This record gives sequence, C-alpha cells and structure tokens, in this order.
Amino acid sequence: MKSARPHPAWAPWFFLAPFLLLFAAFFAWPLVRAAVLSLEQTYGPGVGVFVGFRNFAFLARDPLFWTALRNTAVFTVGSLLIQMPVALGLAILLNRPSLRGRAVFRLIFFSPALIGMVFAATLFTLIFEKQTGLVNFALHSLFRGWNPDFPWLEDYLMASLILAALWLYAGFNMVYFLAALQNVPQEQLDAASIDGAGPWGRFRHVTLPAIRPVAGFIVMLSIAGSFQIFVLPYVMFLRTGGAGPLNRGLTVVMYLYKTGFLIGDLGYASAIGWVLALLLVAIALLHRALSRGETQ
Amino acid sequence: MNARRLARVLGRPLLYAFLVLFAALTAVPFAWMITSAFKSGGDFFLSLFLPAGNGFLGVAWDHLTLDNFRRLFREVPMARSLVNSVFLASVTSLFATLCGAMGGYALSRFEFRGRGLLTSLVLGTAILPVPLLLAPRFELIYHLHLLDTFAGYLLPQLAPAFGVFLFRQAMLNHIPAEIIESARLEGCGEIRIFFTLVLPLVRPMVGAFIIITFLGVWNDFIGPQIILQSAGRQPLAVTLAGLGSNYGNDYGMMMAGTLVSVAPIICLFLLLQKEFISGLTSGTVKG
Amino acid sequence: MPRLPSFLSPAAWVIVGLAAASTIGICLMRPPASRALQFWIFAIQHKPFYQTAIAGWNHTHPDKPVELVLMSGTALQQRMMSSFFSGTPIADVLEVERSNIGPAFAGPLEKIGFVDLTDRLRDQGLLDGINRPSFSPWTSRGRIFGIPHDVHPVLLAYRADLVEAAGIDVSRIETWDDYFRVMAPLQVAAGESGGPGRALVVGWPSDYYIAEMLLLESGGAIFDARGRPTLNAPFNARFLARLATWFTGPRPVARSVDWFSASGHRMLLDGLVVGLPVPDWYAGIILKLEIPGLAGKLKLMPLPAWERGGRRTSVWGGTMLGIAKCSPRREDAWEFAQYLYLARATAEALFRRNGIVSPIRSHWTDPVYDQPDPYFCGQPVGRLFLDQAPHVPVRTSSPFNEQALTAFDNCLISVTDYAVRTGRADPATLVPEAQRLLDQAQRDITALVGRNAFLSSPP
Repeated sequence: MKSARPHPAWAPWFFLAPFLLLFAAFFAWPLVRAAVLSLEQTYGPGVGVFVGFRNFAFLARDPLFWTALRNTAVFTVGSLLIQMPVALGLAILLNRPSLRGRAVFRLIFFSPALIGMVFAATLFTLIFEKQTGLVNFALHSLFRGWNPDFPWLEDYLMASLILAALWLYAGFNMVYFLAALQNVPQEQLDAASIDGAGPWGRFRHVTLPAIRPVAGFIVMLSIAGSFQIFVLPYVMFLRTGGAGPLNRGLTVVMYLYKTGFLIGDLGYASAIGWVLALLLVAIALLHRALSRGETQ
Repeated sequence: MNARRLARVLGRPLLYAFLVLFAALTAVPFAWMITSAFKSGGDFFLSLFLPAGNGFLGVAWDHLTLDNFRRLFREVPMARSLVNSVFLASVTSLFATLCGAMGGYALSRFEFRGRGLLTSLVLGTAILPVPLLLAPRFELIYHLHLLDTFAGYLLPQLAPAFGVFLFRQAMLNHIPAEIIESARLEGCGEIRIFFTLVLPLVRPMVGAFIIITFLGVWNDFIGPQIILQSAGRQPLAVTLAGLGSNYGNDYGMMMAGTLVSVAPIICLFLLLQKEFISGLTSGTVKG
Repeated sequence: MPRLPSFLSPAAWVIVGLAAASTIGICLMRPPASRALQFWIFAIQHKPFYQTAIAGWNHTHPDKPVELVLMSGTALQQRMMSSFFSGTPIADVLEVERSNIGPAFAGPLEKIGFVDLTDRLRDQGLLDGINRPSFSPWTSRGRIFGIPHDVHPVLLAYRADLVEAAGIDVSRIETWDDYFRVMAPLQVAAGESGGPGRALVVGWPSDYYIAEMLLLESGGAIFDARGRPTLNAPFNARFLARLATWFTGPRPVARSVDWFSASGHRMLLDGLVVGLPVPDWYAGIILKLEIPGLAGKLKLMPLPAWERGGRRTSVWGGTMLGIAKCSPRREDAWEFAQYLYLARATAEALFRRNGIVSPIRSHWTDPVYDQPDPYFCGQPVGRLFLDQAPHVPVRTSSPFNEQALTAFDNCLISVTDYAVRTGRADPATLVPEAQRLLDQAQRDITALVGRNAFLSSPP
C-alpha cells in the first residue's frame, strides 16, 4: 500500500514548523524553566536566588496554601455534587424528540456558558450584594424571614461561588450529557418498560450504564476545571482583595497568581504550579484506574 | 395502575412547568444585568428590574437612561478595550487555527521519523495545567522584551496543543488517504492540497475551533492581566475588572460595562449557533 | 453571487472580517503620545477634589500638565508591582493605599520603584514639619518613599440624639469599660420587642481593620520597630481576650455594620448602633456625603481608652503619594506632588471637601479646622481630630503586615468562637486560649518573614 508518489520529505516539517517553533518556545522551554524556577526565590523576573527544595518544604507547612487547597476542594466537591445531577436531570428532561421548544430550552440553558468568568463574576458581585442584590432582594421578597443583609460575599463565599458556577456551567454540561444520552439504546428502555420497570429503574439499569463512560469523562473534566478556578472568585471578591475576608475565598491558582505576580516570587509560584499539576495527574490516574476497573 | 395514568396525564404540564422554571432562573441574571445597565443610581436601589411608574405596563420608562453607557465610554477607555478585544480574539483564533490545522495535518497524514514521539509529546502537555506555565512564561516574555505588547500576549496562544490534537482526529476520520495521493499524482503541490482539499473536508472543525479560540481569548483575564499593562492595550476583561472600587461600586456603570462586554459574544452566538455548540463540546465525545 | 473559497465556514468568514476591521482600528486609534504627567489614584472619593486641584495646576503650569486616572486599588497594585518587577509603563505620580504597599517593600532596597524622598524631605524641613507617625507606613529600612497624605486620627462618633434623649452624660466616659457601662441603658437585645435591637458599638470579629485599629490604640503591636513579628506578646493575648468579649455573651455590645454599603448606611440611619469609631476620612466622606440623613444626630468624642490615662485615639487607613523611579520627569513630578500635598490652599480644600486633616503641622492653625460643622451638631470637627493627631500611634511598614493581620484576626475569631462554645465571659479565662493561638500565628509569620531572602536586615 505504499503510495506511488511519496510526499516530499520537507512537507510534514513545513506544516509542523509554525506550531513546533511556538510550541518549543512557549510550552517546552517554560516547562523546563518551571522546574528550575521552583528551586529559586525571586523578586520579579530579574532578581532570583537559589533556595533548593526549601520552596517545597515551606509549601508543606504553609497555612495559606492549605487554606487555598481546602477552599478549592470544598468548591470542587460542592459544585460537582450540585452541578452534575442538575445537568444530567435537565438533559434527561430535554431528551424527548416529541418535546416542543426543545431547541429553545437548550439554547437558554446553554447560554450562560458563553459569558466569560470575568464578566459573570462582575455580574455576580452585584447579584450577591446585601439588600440591593438580586438574590437577597428576591429571597427577602419571597420569604419575609430572609435576612436581606445575608453576607454572601463576607461569610458564605464558597456557597456563592458554587451557585455562580452552577449558573455558568450547568447548561454547558447538560449539552455533553445530551450527546451522551444518544448512546442509550431505545430498545432496552422499551424492554425495561415492558418488564414493568419504573422511570427510576430504567434510569438505574439502562440509562446510567450506557452513559457511564461519557459521564466519567465529564466528571473528570469538571474536576480538573474546578481545581483551577481562579478568575471567578478573584473578580467576585475583588473588593476584599480577591481572596475575600481572611482568605476565605482563596483558591490554589489564586494563591499562585498572587505569589507570582503581586509578591513577585515566580519560584514559589512554580512550586505551587507543580503541586497542582501533580494533584491533577493523580486525579486523572485515579479516574483511569476506576474506569478500567469498571470495564473489566 | 391509576397512579401511573395520573402521572402520564400530569407529566407533560409538570415537565413544561419545571423546564420553564429552570429557564427563568437561567434568564433572570441576564434580565437583571440588562435592566440595571439602563437604570440610574437611585432607581437601582428601589426596584429589582424595571422602575415602577405609570407608563406602559406600569413601568416608568422615562426613568431609563443611557447615562451609564455615556460615563462608561467617557471615563474609561471602553471603546479602545472593545477594539482590543476584537483584535486579540479574532487574530488569535485565525492564526491559532491555521497553526493547529497544519500541525494536525502533518501528524495525521504524513509518515516521517519522530511522528509518534511528537504526537505523544503534544498530547502529554495538553494534560498539564496552564497555571504551571504562568510564571516561567512571564519570565520568558520579560526576557524577550515583549511585556506590554500585543505580540507578547498573542504568540503563546498560537501554538494550541489541544487544537493539533483535535485536527489530527478530524483528519484521520474525514480525509481518505487516497484523495491526497491521487491529487499528488495529478501534480498538485503540497500547499495547494492542504488549502483546496484538506481544509474544505474538515470545514466544520475549522469553524468550530475558530469559535472556541475566539471565545477563549475574549473571556481570558489572567493572560492580558499579566502581560498587557497599558490601559490602551487592555481588553474588555481587564478593563471591566478594574471598574470596581474598594469603597463602593458604581453599579450602573459596571452593569453597562458587562453588557457591552457580553453583547458581541451573544450576537455571534445567535448568528452561528451550530458552530458554537459543536465547537464547545468538540473533543469530549470523540476523545 | 461571488463564491467564497470553500475552506472557511460562514463563522470563519465573520471572524476574518472582524480581524481585518479591528486591525485597521488598532492602527487608526494609536493615541497621540501624551505630554502630560500621569497621576493614578484608587479612591473614587478623591476624584472630584483632585480634578479641581489639577485644573488649577494645569492653568498655572501649561508646560507640565497633569492627567488624572482612576482605577481600582487592586488594579493599581497589580500594575505598580508589574512595573517594579519588570519595567512595564506606569504613572509618574501615584497614590497608594497602605494595604497595597506591602509587596513594594518586600524586595531588595534598590528594587523599590519609588523615588527615595528622605533627603528631599529633610532638606525642606518636612521631616519635622509633618506629623511624625504619618511617615511610618511609607518607611522601609530607614528610607521614606512617599509623602504622607494624611494623619487619619480616630474619634468615636455617637448618636447624640439618642444619648441626650436618655439623659446620658458622655463626659463620664474615659475608657471602653466606662463607655459600655454608661451607655448600657441604650442597648436593646436583638429580638427584644421584636426589633433588630441596638448595639453600643460597630465591630465584628472578622473585620481586621478594626482589630488593628483597636490594637494600636491599646499600645499593642504585631511587629516591633525592627520588623520582627511580635504577635504572641502577652499583652496582645490579654487584648484579644478583652476584645473577644465584645462579641459574646447574651447581649453582645458590638454588632456588624457594613462600613461601605448602602445596607450598612441604612443600619446607622435606623439607629441600630449607638457609636462607631471613625477616622477623619470616614467622617468627612462616608458619613457626611453618603449618609446625609444623619446630619445633626451625631457628635464626636475622643475614642474611649483601654486603660485609665491611656491613648484616646488610633489610626485607620492611610495614603501616600509616590513618584515612580522610572519617570523621566521626576522633578516636575516632585513639584506637582508638593503642590498637591503640601500647599496650604490644597490642604484647606481637602478638609473642606473630604474632611481630611493635613499631616503638615504648620497648617494646623488654619481657621478652617475650627469652623463649627452643622452635620456634627456644630462641633469644630477639624480641631477635634487635630487635638488627637500628635497621639496617633506609629505603625509598622512590614511587607508582611497584611498576612500577620490576617493571622491575628483569625486568632480573634477563634477566641470568640471559643468563648461562645465554652460560655466563658470573663476575659481572664480566655487569655490562655488566646496565647495558645497567638503562639501558633507567631510561628507561621516568623517562618514567612524568615523565608524572604531579599530583606537582609528586617525593614
């Protein structure tokens, strides 16, 4: 099957060249530098001293890093537990060809995903305001007992963040789930119905197994994204320095950003970056091990 | 049996009620943003959406004002930021797509030494979190004297590892090797084959990738925040985030700014829905 | 109809169009190189006053006009630090708030991006002419990097209408204990008679500005003069234990009232609290301009002391004017800075407009400070603040102050929780727990300070 007329030897390299050059300069080389930098302490890009593994040693006992990690984990777990069922639920409700206005609903649910985090965060700082904010205003109008001064952005930072992320990404994940639901074999659903299975039974025994691979992938992607959350809290809590009162809204990437670009310690920021990378790779490996275990 | 029939009769309206409720919850923040952008400071504190009055539908239409927008464009370099955002997003998306398509083509439809190694290298780096590269990339751009230039922001965006991966998949699926070979036999040049034969075959992917890159750059905050320091070079995301104040916010102006920032994207979306959704969800289902 | 080349979808063509249009736009919109000195500020409340002052300057100095740019404090800090680290463009003159200055002082002395003003200030006699404590936040390793904008002494504002209606005599108040005892008849527990109740003073555990302000008043400190952390001094533990009791018990004397939001203003208007500590800027900008409804209802008095004979004031907030080292026009900038910050006329206008008293002692005789202010029941507000100005405590300029304060305030929150949990109301019984928490905070902050390789000797 060798082609009669092979391509010239330069051709693949010609097509690869633009990508490869930029990739080498702005990915591969920084990656190498990230390793070296993590052994330094710097004050901006011009001034640095070698400190060996002391960055990592300090990181292990750094209370701010642990605060950031805890906040990030709370956000990740919280938004996973709320967002996934909502997204899947909406997808199942929409997954009926006979449904009228299906396209319109899909459009509406999906639309927040277009809004960038900065813009959404600006919107949500005002939405969670005391008294005048949409949430407190509406809840107080509906339930007189609701405190119109409910301190979303002072004491309930992670809750407000999870709600904002729910609005932003539930519809986005719903589109993924809708695609996954196309894999559910209709005959099996019909067969289950004939066997007398209720909606829950059909969901549990037919739908769920069929969408499990894709669902696992969506969960995985969502975890990786949530773990890197930065702009949403940073802009939402900008009035209190980005991290909120007493760092209650500090996340891992926000800590990395502040360390590197406000304190100027690119070395320590790189160390935080490596720990983040390790955590994400560990989660990915765990996911792979789990999904492999299932298929066997 | 009765219960089931009841469920079937009630099911439809209940389903619609539920969907409408959720749609309303999704739409309310948009509505709030839009109405707030047209309200004066005083009305902002008095009404949730539109100010009450005795105009049509019980709304005080004459209370609505464009003042927020006027102040926004006068006091903040908003017009400049808007142009900057369009420029960065469109130029990045076009060139990144070109780089990505070319790279994906090379890795999928040519055989050469080192192809396997390169492919796994590109895929491997796609797993690494972007924040890890923030610090060293900033250092590099500093040493290249590209801080506070458009090039300093653009260049790193033009090598999309994920894009190369997507195009490689699309080309493996949609471009039969025989077509390329017969074109070569007819004496077509390699570059002509790419533009007249290969790209048209993966046209949906091209559109989708342009769109996701455009959206990604438009909504990017951290990159321009670090690289672009002059007010005249900052895109909307950075300008808008600078609007807040530590001592009380100018609500109307912030909402007007948000509206100005998201309206172009919403317009593009309504215009090009299909590409948006397939673009944003590409890679996951196949990958 | 012309056929478009088929390798691009309609979406792609739209983007190509946008790219072409915006590229032309970018080329056309190139702004003319500005001859004006750039002046960056972060507080929207300063803007109207400066606009007037700058219009005056531009009129008399057409050869060196000044251009004012307002941005959020966080944005200003980000661009300032980026410039110091890597030389990206920055204003010639910039105002910086104390909470944003820390990182600027965390590197080698020569990397501080502000012009060292120590010698200029000495030569002009300003080192003695300006109220001494005002320099403290802007001094690093003995050098001064900004002209202080203010003194910001703190007084106590109280609802004179409520106090006088109840026949209470405030002249009997010297200490906080006196204050809570004398004002006790005005306190109403939340839920009592169905209302939200009334507390005696504004404050809540997680407000670390107030915690710092009160600590400084009491004479405590979280850094010593050489910049070493002193979080766990026994004095601080006793202070924390006392402060925690403000927030606990069946009828806490303090309540949370937002300093800067409409809802907080509403609570003050509704009389949900009797008194609040206010620096001159809060009295002049927030109270007078944003809560006009309180006119004629408030009076000022010296802050109650922590001990008899103790300090009757503190300090809250603070701004400096710095000149960027990289500015090609430092002399023009210095001239403008003197006009804006040192001239008698601008000092007077600053007080009239924003209620802020000048740090320059020779201006203190200005009669403007003695004018009765109808908002505060005809009290001579300027004089009341200036009487306390010499007693304002000295502050640290440690680059780690924000982190240390956060750690300190976390201790306050934990002690308060502990007091609530165990039902202990007597400060003495809270001291051991406060000490334990402060010891841990001290270890953390010492490690943080010790890690910095660029501060060869602590600032």
